[in-house]
Amino acid sequence: MTPRERVNIAMSLSKPDKVPLMCQFSIGAMMQQLKPSPALFWYDGRVFADGLVALCERFGFDGILVSLHGHGDRWREGLMEIKDIDEGKQELIYGNRREIHSWSDLPMVKFNSANISREISSVDVEREIPSHIDYIPVSQDLRFHLHKSNMFGIFSYLRGIVGGKYSIHGEITSPFDYFLDFMGYENALVSLIIDPQKCKDILERFTKGICLLASDMCDEDIDAVKISSPFAGMGFISPEHYEEFVLPYESRIIEAIKDKGKRVYIHTCGHIGDRLELMQKSGASGLECLDPEPVGNVDLKDAFNRIGDSMFIKGNIDSVNTLLYADENKARADVLKILETGKQGNGFILSTACSIAPMVCSDRILMLRELTDRFGLY
Amino acid sequence: MNQILEQISICIQKGKVDSKMAYPPEMKGMPGADELTKAALDEGFSANDILSGALIHGMGIVGDLFREKRLFVPQVLMSAMAMKAAMVHLKPFFSSGELKQKGTFIIGTVAGDLHDIGKNLTAMMIEGAGWRVIDLGTDVKTERFLEVLNENGNAVVGLSALLTTTMEQMERSVKAIREHFPENRIVVGGAPVNSEFAKRIGASLYAPNPQVAVEYINSI
Ligand code: B12
Repeated sequence: MTPRERVNIAMSLSKPDKVPLMCQFSIGAMMQQLKPSPALFWYDGRVFADGLVALCERFGFDGILVSLHGHGDRWREGLMEIKDIDEGKQELIYGNRREIHSWSDLPMVKFNSANISREISSVDVEREIPSHIDYIPVSQDLRFHLHKSNMFGIFSYLRGIVGGKYSIHGEITSPFDYFLDFMGYENALVSLIIDPQKCKDILERFTKGICLLASDMCDEDIDAVKISSPFAGMGFISPEHYEEFVLPYESRIIEAIKDKGKRVYIHTCGHIGDRLELMQKSGASGLECLDPEPVGNVDLKDAFNRIGDSMFIKGNIDSVNTLLYADENKARADVLKILETGKQGNGFILSTACSIAPMVCSDRILMLRELTDRFGLY
Repeated sequence: MNQILEQISICIQKGKVDSKMAYPPEMKGMPGADELTKAALDEGFSANDILSGALIHGMGIVGDLFREKRLFVPQVLMSAMAMKAAMVHLKPFFSSGELKQKGTFIIGTVAGDLHDIGKNLTAMMIEGAGWRVIDLGTDVKTERFLEVLNENGNAVVGLSALLTTTMEQMERSVKAIREHFPENRIVVGGAPVNSEFAKRIGASLYAPNPQVAVEYINSI
């Protein structure tokens, strides 16, 4: 059985030969493993894709999550200087901003003048919210520009290297996240209360653009799309707000992806224990993360009982408290327990809940492969 | 509690800023924290009665509900807005010295870390508990904490870190603060931090949420 088949069987709620293993790396974790030129790793699609393949093979994962796509050359426009500050640290200087690219983290962007946060009443939805999505709102002040001419080139490039061996997944971002990025986090959250209708108009428009993006992505040779939705958990909004401002929009994207015959899973980190059934209502094929205590509040067994009949589960290893900080015995025991519980459910993919934290060492990631090979057999 | 003070406290709890604000629906058209605070002053209530009897009281309840996950971030932000609207009327009493803050709280997210949603909520709650807050923002270098502590001798310091990589930075900052200001209290918070870590690096307290920090600094 190939790794790709293994992942696909699990995503169809069946049991393959053994539990598939597929973690997503934080950018910092990839950098720590690969030690590339930090700026090129971020901006150059080939360097990034080669890195993804190298990591997948190094750690024996069954699939590759492609968290960035649409690479191009626009980052060179207006670039005044690249400074090597330290080993593994570069500064890119532009007229309006400075970017620090380093081995430990995502790029950090500092604009010369601070972005002014928007009043909801002043937003002109038709004019200001793009109907075609041309960026990923990655982090504070950090947008990844999507080049139309090379929107999904990375997928064919990856297939060219790995053939049909691995499962390849694309990633798109929730409309709720685009909304928060556009308005500024706090402003956006307050606006849900002050002007809910306007928020819905904005979300509606983002949703249209994201549906198109997701649908086009599904024309590539990928098996699934992950919807990144980090702000949809209990750390931010109530279940009522989830139902009102997240669920209807993510459901439409999920429908568009499923219409193209691909699988789709939602990634929401942190505490989501109170809303598993609501997330199930979205129609998604699977759920990712399911952070355990203390980072989140999901018990894997309970999650399988509640939603496992219609959704696969990918995750549940605490990357910080288990992989990074625990001693060897605890780390192994934690992973074994998750593996045992996961095997009882129908569709299970072993993975870190959220991404592998930057400083997790290779041995700990290799341990996942070893334990899955020994104890993950069905 | 007197009726108008109770009404102000309810406005804070419910995030009712002023009469123009349609939220919460059940209080539509009614006066909010803004109008009621002004009315209470006009009725002869002392600024101190309003501050402790209504505003801090209301914000304390918000803090408890947030800790119990019965209120979420948008609602807390609305309460902070209501508090801010009320405080505008009390500002002259701080300038004249009639009202005194309980102390100064310096807060910042440590160097290398840009997460500030939790830090901002903490700042709002501590302000709502009657403290003067100096918010240094995100990506705050150790030297900056020391500099501001130099100017504010008795301040309590709060550090936030959300990344495992920046927890090391938190450790460096806390150790430097300890070295230069051994008497000052240091509170740390943020998702990956815990009591054990706080103890190891020499912080006075790990606060899993703002309310725990409020209770602690009020008890100093
Ligand atoms: C929102 C978010 C972001 C936003 C931040 C926006 C902003 N302006 O803050 C953005 C998109 C920018 C972002 C970026 C990154 N993030 Co981030 N992010 C989150 C997320 C989803 C939520 C954090 C949050 O705001 N929670 C809500 C608030 C209310 O809770 P809180 O911060 O915990 O604060 C509460 C308490 O902790 C406490 N508290 C906090 N600080 C303090 C301080 C004091 C003094 C006190 C008393 C109390 C206190 O009070 C608050 C209220 O109760 C978490 C996941 C999670 N579930 O925590 C990841 C998470 C923190 N991010 C993570 C990562 C890895 C990153 C990135 C490196 C990106 C990446 N994935 O590659 C970058 C780093 C950028 C940088 N250098 O800082 C990881 C950290 C892993 C680790 N432990 O190392 C997390 C845990 C996700 C994950 N599992 O991968 N992120």
